[in-house]
Amino acid sequence: MAEGVLRDIGIFVAACVCGVASGLFGIGGGTLLVPFLALFFAFGQHRAQGTSLIALIPPTGLLAFFAYAKAGYVSWKVGLLLIPGVFVGGILGGGLAKRLPPRRMRQVFAGLMFALGLWQAAAAWWR
Amino acid sequence: MTLIVLLLGLAAGVLVGLLGIGGGVVLVPAMVYLLHMDQHMAQGTSLLILLPPVGLGALREYWRQGQVDLRAGVLCALGILAGGYLGGLIAVPLASRNLKGLFGCFLMLCAFLLWEKPQDAGAFSSTGQETGRG
Repeated sequence: MAEGVLRDIGIFVAACVCGVASGLFGIGGGTLLVPFLALFFAFGQHRAQGTSLIALIPPTGLLAFFAYAKAGYVSWKVGLLLIPGVFVGGILGGGLAKRLPPRRMRQVFAGLMFALGLWQAAAAWWR
Repeated sequence: MTLIVLLLGLAAGVLVGLLGIGGGVVLVPAMVYLLHMDQHMAQGTSLLILLPPVGLGALREYWRQGQVDLRAGVLCALGILAGGYLGGLIAVPLASRNLKGLFGCFLMLCAFLLWEKPQDAGAFSSTGQETGRG
């Protein structure tokens, strides 16, 4: 019993860390949550992803969104225009994923993301 | 302009479904570089995009396969909600330049985590595959 409670507390604390990243960087938080669940709580990969998805169904970024909106940091026009594209694109991408080797695709993308991150950090600080 | 934004959303969505990485992780740099948005504005707009349940279709696939831990999911939702508020409070007063640099470091960390994940081969090759990350 106590073990179950400890696990619950651990998961909540890990999710809080993901939440800070979510608010700080304006993202969903699942990018960190999936590896956290898999690495620290022995979730299988698919179970981690499924659990991350259900955690992101409620508007978990709402409080962070209010903080940005209050400061005037929201472009409503662009945001509302992007929503349908992301939704439809997600369905297309999900279908396409069945036909491509996901591990290789992920690694190509990870490489691109690393380069983009490096570029962005360098552009911000090295001048 | 409108057409470019619509197509950008579509392209970001394909990557989300294909690779199972966060929509925001793709959308924020895309808005900064392609739409020339300020870093804060891009992040706030990304949070707006992620308010509706865009992952609902993918979740259905995982649910059918019994790959969802509801109890852990609810705990995670609460944690992200609370942590998100704190993160938002930290981000807003930061200089845009520093936030941009931090975001770059965060992208590199995500790339590192994305590169090698434990046991992900096979087992579940349906539409919702690898779409678990917001």
